[in-house]
Parts: sequence; structure tokens; C-alpha cells
Amino acid sequence: MPLAPVDSAQGAINVVAFSARREVALLRSRPWDLAMITWVPALACLLLWWIFSAGLPTRLPIGLVDDDHSALSRQLTRFLDATPGLAVAVRYANAAEAERGLRSAEVYAVVRIPGDFTRTVKQGRAAQVTLLHNAQLGTHSGLIQRDVRTVVGTLSAGIEMAARNKRGEPAQTVRVSMEPVRTGMVTLFNASLDYEQFLAAALLPALLHILAMTAGAWSVGRELRDRTVAQWLGAHPTFRQVLGAVAGKLWWSWLGLGLVGTAALVGITWGRGWHPAGSVAWTCLALWVFLALSIAMGALAASATRSLRTALSATGFITAPAFAFGGVGFPILAMPWGAQLWARALPFTHYIRVQMEQLQMGAPLAVSLATPLWMLLASALLLLASTLGLRAAADRPATWGKR
Amino acid sequence: MATFARSWWNTLQAVWADKGVLLLLVIAPVLYGFFYPWPYMQQAVTRVPVAVVDLDHSSLSRQITRFASANPRLDVRWVGGDLHAAQQALWAGEIEGFAVLPQDLKRHVVRGQSAVVTVEGDGAYALLNKAVLYGFAEAVGTVSAGVEIKKLQAAGQGARQAAASRNPVGTQMLPLFNPTEGYGSYVVPAVALLILQQTLLMGAAMLVGTWVEVGQHRASPAQWLGRIAALASVGAMAGLFYFGWEFTVQDFPRGGNPLGALVLLAVYMPAVACLGCLLGVWFADRERSMQVLLLTSLPMAFVSGFSWPSEALPWPLQGLRWLIPSTSGIQASLRLNQMGAPLGDVAGPLTVLLALALGLGALLLWWARPRGAGVRPAL
Repeated sequence: MPLAPVDSAQGAINVVAFSARREVALLRSRPWDLAMITWVPALACLLLWWIFSAGLPTRLPIGLVDDDHSALSRQLTRFLDATPGLAVAVRYANAAEAERGLRSAEVYAVVRIPGDFTRTVKQGRAAQVTLLHNAQLGTHSGLIQRDVRTVVGTLSAGIEMAARNKRGEPAQTVRVSMEPVRTGMVTLFNASLDYEQFLAAALLPALLHILAMTAGAWSVGRELRDRTVAQWLGAHPTFRQVLGAVAGKLWWSWLGLGLVGTAALVGITWGRGWHPAGSVAWTCLALWVFLALSIAMGALAASATRSLRTALSATGFITAPAFAFGGVGFPILAMPWGAQLWARALPFTHYIRVQMEQLQMGAPLAVSLATPLWMLLASALLLLASTLGLRAAADRPATWGKR
Repeated sequence: MATFARSWWNTLQAVWADKGVLLLLVIAPVLYGFFYPWPYMQQAVTRVPVAVVDLDHSSLSRQITRFASANPRLDVRWVGGDLHAAQQALWAGEIEGFAVLPQDLKRHVVRGQSAVVTVEGDGAYALLNKAVLYGFAEAVGTVSAGVEIKKLQAAGQGARQAAASRNPVGTQMLPLFNPTEGYGSYVVPAVALLILQQTLLMGAAMLVGTWVEVGQHRASPAQWLGRIAALASVGAMAGLFYFGWEFTVQDFPRGGNPLGALVLLAVYMPAVACLGCLLGVWFADRERSMQVLLLTSLPMAFVSGFSWPSEALPWPLQGLRWLIPSTSGIQASLRLNQMGAPLGDVAGPLTVLLALALGLGALLLWWARPRGAGVRPAL
């Protein structure tokens, strides 16, 4: 189908509309391509949310070696089992059995109560409970360490308070003199370190980032692979024609992924009764801009390499580890400087900072204003660059069809 | 047997001749071996920038500030009296947390009233938050213990007894298998198995998808077995690269049960190769495998149970996750390579992998059987 020359605003709109209509027809005849910008992203977001829907892991199995067999050791065991995060699953007779249990990951940790536990405490000396934890499983061992520390601290405080009462100190002053200066911990906003809010909320945009760059690379790259560039852009198109055609084509991926992203963002915040102190609306806007940038990155990868396969390889290389470099799990300031540079060059790092500021830290809007605007500028530049690349490709049919 | 061997060799040659497949099967695992552990090289979070808001200006508050500055977890960037400025600096990312030493801190302590130092950490970033909270808690705790022990000594207890009666029961933490509790040592050995799976899945599906496009994928069982063996052996080479070289160079916990690790590769790689070939037959398109599989890494990592405890997964996922080879692969590899478990302890995951390999392999052989296989195939 030949294109009308573009020399008016009406012409530009026609080019966009033609490309958008052509894309609809293509998507209708290609269920896989339609799926990858509609129900596959929706399902993947649901799956991610579902994985973390418990919020905080409970009843992680731990083992127990009780060499003391006393009222005090039984009290400690009861305390441990009563903690929501822990479950005393196995009692081991000795250290060797406990080690086997840890090695096979039957339990994630073992609490060992020494044989002279009660005697030591009664003599007024300091007794030690040992926690052997599987540090290869970082989350598990972190949660267990925190809970066991709290339980033992409670037991210890009880013993100390009883001893002081015995010495005749009034109960009221005991509490103060036991710990003259206390630390009051205020973890801003994500107070319980709820993983649904912390990890799921950060992983959803990471997933959409992969999908969006894939979509950009796929929709542009497939025209090159299938040698259908002329049908899409017309023969010897002008710069404006190509730009309009690119916009009309990519618009559908942006719409599909943006709607899924909006639903995911609103679902995980308001939908789950979480009303962040910052602006969900601004985060949502930032997400749309971030998705536009991701799609533009994919389009540029395809038009610059003129190979769908290479563009998808680049997509994998940039977007799949973006979460690891994003600073959510492991902070950027603890990375080597080269990795810090790479991390700061990745758009995910910047988007997720805005989301953290608005959803988790309750920062004022002014703090998060600049990033989405920069991303908008970057998206425009990348779209222009891929337009240039495509225009050059349009004149050289011999370079189409690379696999 | 000759058909099997010829098919094995031909497939290796096909992998070598196809730039895209070669990139996925050979170059990508090596590249990711360097690239993925890169951010975690330093393993631990130290010297996190923080601030102290000192509203007391007493010898006690200065002592707490000194202890905080000396704490290896913290880097006290500034000490001031402006709470608002500290909050702004936190939002701007200049600091990751701050402690507020309240007015009359010392006066309260001297009078035997309780005093509270408030620590604000940034809960959005778990590791930073932990460093800030623990760092300040250690500093305040040390100062607080000093005050209390002095009081107990004043009440007539000996220094050691005072220390014991202050904390009658302590907890000794013994980290096993990853003794330094390094972040990279925890994440990378598990993710390695996922990288091995994803690259082999995409590479195999790309190769087979290309064959489907030109109608060359159908083959006899012996030929298919040769193809699977070829793809699995390339995958196993990448696996050896990770288990041997990569874990050693990065100084991760390793080598717990090397023979067991070889057995794992011998079932993991065929299972993944069979799944990859099946996906290739299904997609029937050279590039589709990358388009569809790129996004799967994230959910696969979090259902495998190494980072997010499987106990916290919804119960249907607790079962379904075993259909993905990486779940068994990660579980078995951590036990064998990092924890040094005997082979018997990973019988469960290895059986699942074997069942997957056999099940997926049988499905593949049937689905991509030679056309007209109902008739006796001409040999």
C-alpha cells in the first residue's frame, strides 16, 4: 500500500494512523505477539504478586539440641515455638545429627542449649545459647537470627528482672536501670519489612521493563526480519514518515504494558489496603515514562543492529540483570565503581528510586520531579535515533532479513 | 548407536555454525559468569553514610557519636542539630539514616530515668536499613552497657559479675556454609543454575525453532537422543565452568561434593535440553524463544526457594514450582556444592529432574517423530 507524501499535519496524522491500523491487523493475525503485550504481562505480574502475597514468611523450620533438659530450657523452647516466624520442627539428640539436618536443609537453623545452661544462670554467670544458621540461604537465616535474638533477649531480660527483684529493687526502676539508654528503631514506612511491599513492588516494574524492551525490539525487529520494511514505511520514506510510522506501531505496546503496569501498581498499593505516604499518581506517571523509554531502547536496538535476534540479545543483557544492579537487594554504594557506573546508566535504577521515594519513603514530590522528565527526554532522543536508523535501513533492502 | 553418535556430532556442528545459538550456549554463560557477580564483589555493606542529630550537646551524646563514628557499618557524614535537614538529606539520598539524641538525654540517665535514642533507617532498602539500625544499636548499646555496669559496680558487684548479671543469657551466632555471610556468596551460586538453564533453554529452542521453520526438526528417537545429548553436553561444559572455575575465582563456598555435582549436571542438563527442544518445536520460530523466555527468569528465581522461603509460597506454587528444572537444580546444587551434602540428601530433587528428563523427552520424541511414523519408518 503506497503512502501519501507527508507535508502537512494531516499527512503526519495519516502516517501514524496507517501504521497503528496496520499493527492492529498484524497483532490480530499473530496471537503470540498480541499475548506478549496483553495477557502474558498481566499473568506474569499476578504470578509475582502471588509469590509474595504472604508478606512475611512464617514458621520457618528450625532444629533444637537440648543438652540441659531443664525447666528453663523447656521455657526457651516454648518461647521459640511460639514466635510466628519460627517452628521447632525437629529435636536432635546430638550435634552430629543436627549437622546432618542442616546439611540436608531439613531445617534452616539449629538452636543448641548447653548442658550446664541452668546451673550457669543460677550461679549468676553469663550463659550462652548457640544458633547455628544456614547462611547460604540469606533471607531465611536473617529472619531466623532476628527472631532467635529477640526470644533469647526476652528470656534474658526476664531472668535479670527476677534477679533484681530478689535483690530488692522495685520493679518500676528495674526496667530503666537495666537499659539506661534504649534505641528506638524507626524503619521508615515499611515498618514490618513486609516483602510484598518491598520486593514485589520493586520486581513488578523490573518485569515490565524486560517485557517493554522486548516488545520494542520485537515489533521493529520483526519488520526487518520478515523483510516487510517497505510495506510498513513505504519506499524511500522521509524522516517524518518513519517517525510517524514508528510512533503508530509502538503505541500499542506502550498502551498494553502501561495499562498492565497501572493495574499492578494500583493493585499492590490501594488494592491491598496500602496507602503510601507519597504520590501513587506520580509513580504511575513515572512508570509510563519508564515503559516508553524501555520500548524506545528496544526499538533502537533493533533498528541499529537490523537484526531481531541481536536486538533481543541486547534486551536480555540490559534488562534481565537490571534488578540486580538496581540497588534494591544490594545497595549501589557497596558496589565496585565500575558496577556503580553501569547501575547508574540503567534506567531501572532511576525509576525504582522514584518509586521508593514515593511509595516507601514518603518523600515530597519535589524530590522525585526531575527523574521522569529526564526519562521523557531520553525516550524522545532514542526514538529519534531509531527513526534515523530505520530510515537508513529502509533504503538498503539488502540488509533486511538478518537472522 | 551409529545414528545417535552421528546425530550428536551433527548437532554440535550445527551449534558451532549458528552464531545466535553459539552466543547463547557458550558466550552468554561465560559473560554472565563475570557480569552477574560484579555488583556483589565487596560482598558486605560497610560505611553506610548516616547523620547524627544531637539535641543534647552533652558528654554522653558526644560519646554515642564517637562510638557511632568508630562503628565499621557506619560513616557519620555530619553531626548537627537540625532534624528537618536530616530528613531532607535522607530523601535526597545523601544519607541512608540518622539517629536523634534527644534533649536532656544525659540528665535523664543520671537521674535513673529511661532515655530513648531514635534511629531512622530507610526501610525501602533492606540491607542499608539493617546496617544503619545495627550500627547505631551497637553504638548506643555499648554506651548504655557502660553506664549500667558502672551503676552495678557502684552497687557493689564485681566487674565480671556486673557484666553477667546485665545479660544473663546471650546468643552466639554461628553462620554455616557461607561463614562471612557475603551477599554474593548467597545469591550467585543459586542464580548460576538459573543462568545455565535460561541460556540452554533459549539456545536449544532457537536451534530447534530454526529447524522447524525449514521443516527439518522431525527425527527418529535415536537422532533426537543424539541431539539432546549434544545440547546437554554443551550445557554441562558451561556447568563445569561455573562449578569449578567461576566459584573458585569469585571465592564462593564450593567443592562440597564434587562427584555429587557431576551427577547433578548429568540429570539437570538433559532435563533442560529436553524442555528447550520442546519449546522450540512449539514456538516454531527462531527468535520466539528469546522473546518469551527472557521474562521468566525473575519469577523462576523467586519460586526456587533460595531467596524467598518456599514455606511462604501459596500452596499451589509449592507443587507447581517443581515442574521447572531450575527449582530442583538450585536446591540440589546449593546442598551439593555449597553445603557439602551427601548424594542421598538430594535424592528428591535429582529424582524430580530425572522424571522431568524422561517425561519431557518422551513427549518430544513423540511430538517430533518422523512424519508417517505410523507406517514402518524406512531405514
